[in-house]
Amino acid sequence: MADLLSTGVSGLLAAQLGLSTTGHNVSNVNTDGYSRQQVSFAARAPQPQGRYYVGTGVDTVAVQRAYSQHLSAALWSAASAQGRANAYQALTDQLNNQLSGSSNLQSSLDTFFGAVQDVANAPGDASARGVLLARAGALASTFRALSGQFDSLGGQVQRQLTDTVDSINSDSAAIAKLNERIRGSTGAQPSDLLDQRDALIKKLAGEVGISVVAQNDGTLSVFVGNGQALVTGTQSHPLATAQNAYDATRLEVIGKDDGTVLSGRIGGGTLGALLDFRSNVLDPAQNQLGRAALALADAFNAQHAQGVDLNGRLGGDFFAVAGPAVQASSANTGSATVSAGVVDVGALGDQDYLLAYDGSAWSLRDTSGAAVPMGGSGTAADPFIAGGLSFVVAGGAAAAGDSFRIQPTRNAASGIGVAITDPSRIAAAAPLTGSAAGGNTGTAGVGALTVADGGDPDLFTASSIVFSSTTSYSIDGGPAQTFTPGTPIVHNGWSLTLDGAPAAGDGFTVQANADARGDNANALKLGAVAELGVLDGGATSVGRAYGQLVGQVGTAGALADDDAKTQTAVFNQAMTAQQSVAGVNIDEEAANLVRFQQAYQASAQVISAANTVFNALLGAFKG
Amino acid sequence: MRVSTSWMQQQSVNTMMDRQADLSDIQTQMGTGKRINQPSDDPVGAARALELTHLDADATQYQRNIASANARLGLEDQILGSAGDVLGRVRTLLLQGMNASQTDESRSDIAAEIVQLRGQLLGMANSRDAQGDYIFAGNRTGTQPFVSQAGGVSYLGDAGQRMVAAGPGLQVATGDPGSAVFMDIPTGNGSFAVSAAAANAGSAVAGATSVTDTGAWDGGSYQITFTAADAYEVRDGNGTLVGGGSYDTEKGGTVAFRGVQVAFSGAPAAGDRFAVVPSPKQSVFDTLDGIIATLRQPDGGGADMQNALNGQLANLDQAVGSLTRARAAVGARMNALDQQGSLNDDLTLQYKTALSNVQDLDYYDAVSRLSLQSSALQAAQQTYSKLQTMSLFDYLR
Repeated sequence: MADLLSTGVSGLLAAQLGLSTTGHNVSNVNTDGYSRQQVSFAARAPQPQGRYYVGTGVDTVAVQRAYSQHLSAALWSAASAQGRANAYQALTDQLNNQLSGSSNLQSSLDTFFGAVQDVANAPGDASARGVLLARAGALASTFRALSGQFDSLGGQVQRQLTDTVDSINSDSAAIAKLNERIRGSTGAQPSDLLDQRDALIKKLAGEVGISVVAQNDGTLSVFVGNGQALVTGTQSHPLATAQNAYDATRLEVIGKDDGTVLSGRIGGGTLGALLDFRSNVLDPAQNQLGRAALALADAFNAQHAQGVDLNGRLGGDFFAVAGPAVQASSANTGSATVSAGVVDVGALGDQDYLLAYDGSAWSLRDTSGAAVPMGGSGTAADPFIAGGLSFVVAGGAAAAGDSFRIQPTRNAASGIGVAITDPSRIAAAAPLTGSAAGGNTGTAGVGALTVADGGDPDLFTASSIVFSSTTSYSIDGGPAQTFTPGTPIVHNGWSLTLDGAPAAGDGFTVQANADARGDNANALKLGAVAELGVLDGGATSVGRAYGQLVGQVGTAGALADDDAKTQTAVFNQAMTAQQSVAGVNIDEEAANLVRFQQAYQASAQVISAANTVFNALLGAFKG
Repeated sequence: MRVSTSWMQQQSVNTMMDRQADLSDIQTQMGTGKRINQPSDDPVGAARALELTHLDADATQYQRNIASANARLGLEDQILGSAGDVLGRVRTLLLQGMNASQTDESRSDIAAEIVQLRGQLLGMANSRDAQGDYIFAGNRTGTQPFVSQAGGVSYLGDAGQRMVAAGPGLQVATGDPGSAVFMDIPTGNGSFAVSAAAANAGSAVAGATSVTDTGAWDGGSYQITFTAADAYEVRDGNGTLVGGGSYDTEKGGTVAFRGVQVAFSGAPAAGDRFAVVPSPKQSVFDTLDGIIATLRQPDGGGADMQNALNGQLANLDQAVGSLTRARAAVGARMNALDQQGSLNDDLTLQYKTALSNVQDLDYYDAVSRLSLQSSALQAAQQTYSKLQTMSLFDYLR
């Protein structure tokens, strides 16, 4: 006969194990990453008793965690996407906040150009001139403030980059340690260690996009980007930050083992968001802002040079602005240097360029890596020309592989300032005045009279033009010159266009606009610079360029908001699915507790029954 | 499906936090009154709002420009009006002086008053605006434009005219150079002037002149010579005879040639000559100086003085005409500025309306969203508290 006592004891032990597992589950109800554990039982091998078998109780086969490989993998990938979306959203939100703040460039521009108009209304008024200089200073400082905010956001991205890399390194080290312990555990699965490792991988996935490969020995290998290993078996491979080859203040993510630059190849997670934001939102925004500053300074200075100030001197630069930045790669071995200048603001884009030498020729690429064709030969006399920029290669010989990064507008906004401090230096008046002689019989009048060469020493010398026929004229009794209607007459550094047709004998005079403190001709033209299309080949004014920047940043922000919502929903979905398998439900555990409690009580009854039976047998013999 | 207890709690908490974030958004919107609080709220709208703000600021600045232009033009109008009054007084005095009953003494008194009026006019021509700028100096606003020198008044300003931007693409002149108003005034009837030769012995006086046929008038110089007391001939600069006729010494008569006519009265002596020349330009001050000099001539009252004063009267009328034209132009400009001003006002209103449509909050909508979101938050809170009280453990006692 089977041993009732041992059968009862086996049931008792099984129920005890069930109770303790349930207790373990209940205790870990709030443990992050914990998978609920289940006990599986099997009936013991029965004892053959001739014609039949007698059962001998229960065996505990395993204590296992409820786990689904593919649901966990889905959760990790969702965590990566959500980590990226949330970090990206937080960063673009910050940038949006900066643009909506009090340092609104548009109103600074409007106030500045309003002050220009006020000078046009009272060109000799020292207070109007003083106000214009103050407004110009405020406009320049708005540019600098915005640029400074962008810079500080960039600095914040760098710090977060370092912090995230540290956190990734400590997590991958912990994963490698757990791999070691898991590989060392013999036989049964160490559920709690596996849970810990899974939780770490989920955290890591939130920090950087990863792929996870299970090895036969139970360890997990983790890779980032396109194959850079973070954890292989029990070995972890840390990441690090290193200076950019062109810009020592810019940090890039590298693999610490071999120094491979990983920025640009990492997607997903906080780290992916930081790198993405920096190169796709912040850099273009800084360039756009710089482009607007450069365009303002360029257009305003050009018009300012067309006027004379209260002292009768030609207007100098009104705004001072930094030109393109050229940075040599730290890997350059040649001794060539490159300088860059702006030749056409209207052709400037918002991208940066890479000028590289392959041993025989120079080539130019933009940020996206697309080749940009260049004209010219790169000498000072015939510079390379591309995208509104000129490049001059000087110094010694370049070596193959040498490269230079050119940032056309990056520093323009941070370095813009007002170049003049004396209100009387504002060139509100036209430098020259042209007049037709009283006895002219033709229909020609004085049209545009502009300064073609401010350096001409005879610019302010009075000249008289006399037409000997409708197509021929001489200046100051000089040789006869051919007149083509519509083509300006150029002399002494000025350029005069006549409206209408001159007749033979007609005369015109061009002379200095002396003592004209009440002239506002140039101030009116300076005011019109506000609406002047100076960018994108003449299609975009400075104000509109700022509008474009706001639109661009706003769009990035709106997309990031949407993406963060979507990715949170996806993550919640993945979490719900994974938790439906692995999560602890208190009610279920309560039921299990009752179940195992009852089984324990019943098994105890079986032992008690065995005792009774045994006592009954003893009593029969006493009988 | 199994629901994990801790995840269920976490999700309830997440729901509540989401609703609270929504409420906080609405609260910000209601606090600022704006639908767009940062560009990402509506990127297109944010860029459009910037554009509209810019247009609005532009229109406001145009209004400022118009106000400043109106101030300048108003001042100019006032001065031109007073200058017109001065010339009107001169004209009255001149007519008085032409009266045959005047004596040398009374003409001298009249001349003395005209000297005063000339000084007054010079002062007006040298007026300054509130900023101390000379109004009639062209662009040389820092230089006194009219300076009395030996031989007359000279103009030190230039021909510049200050413009003001009154609207997109619209520039209006806010002044006139003194040279155009006071200096370059045609004499005579504007086309030609008649003057008597000093040696004339008769009492013929040239009166009203006019151009009757502008096609026939060639702007040349002519000489009218009375060959006898009742006959005249007209010769051009080369001495070629271009006309002639008889003259009635009793009733006077009109000499007509080449599309112009000159009325004569009085009795000419044979050989009296009158020159007809295209109008030279003369300043109003020169005209006044001429009147004063003529009135001061001793033993005046004769035909030569009549002729001279008649000529000066025509010149004076040209000067009055020049002031009137300048004043009319000022009025036309102020009118144009007013029209542009009301257009700018309309535009400002339009921009403000459009801006409000783009960025301002619809409060009805916001309030209804607020109540919707707060009920959603309440529901989430109630659900949470209900779920937390339900546990099987409660029944296992």
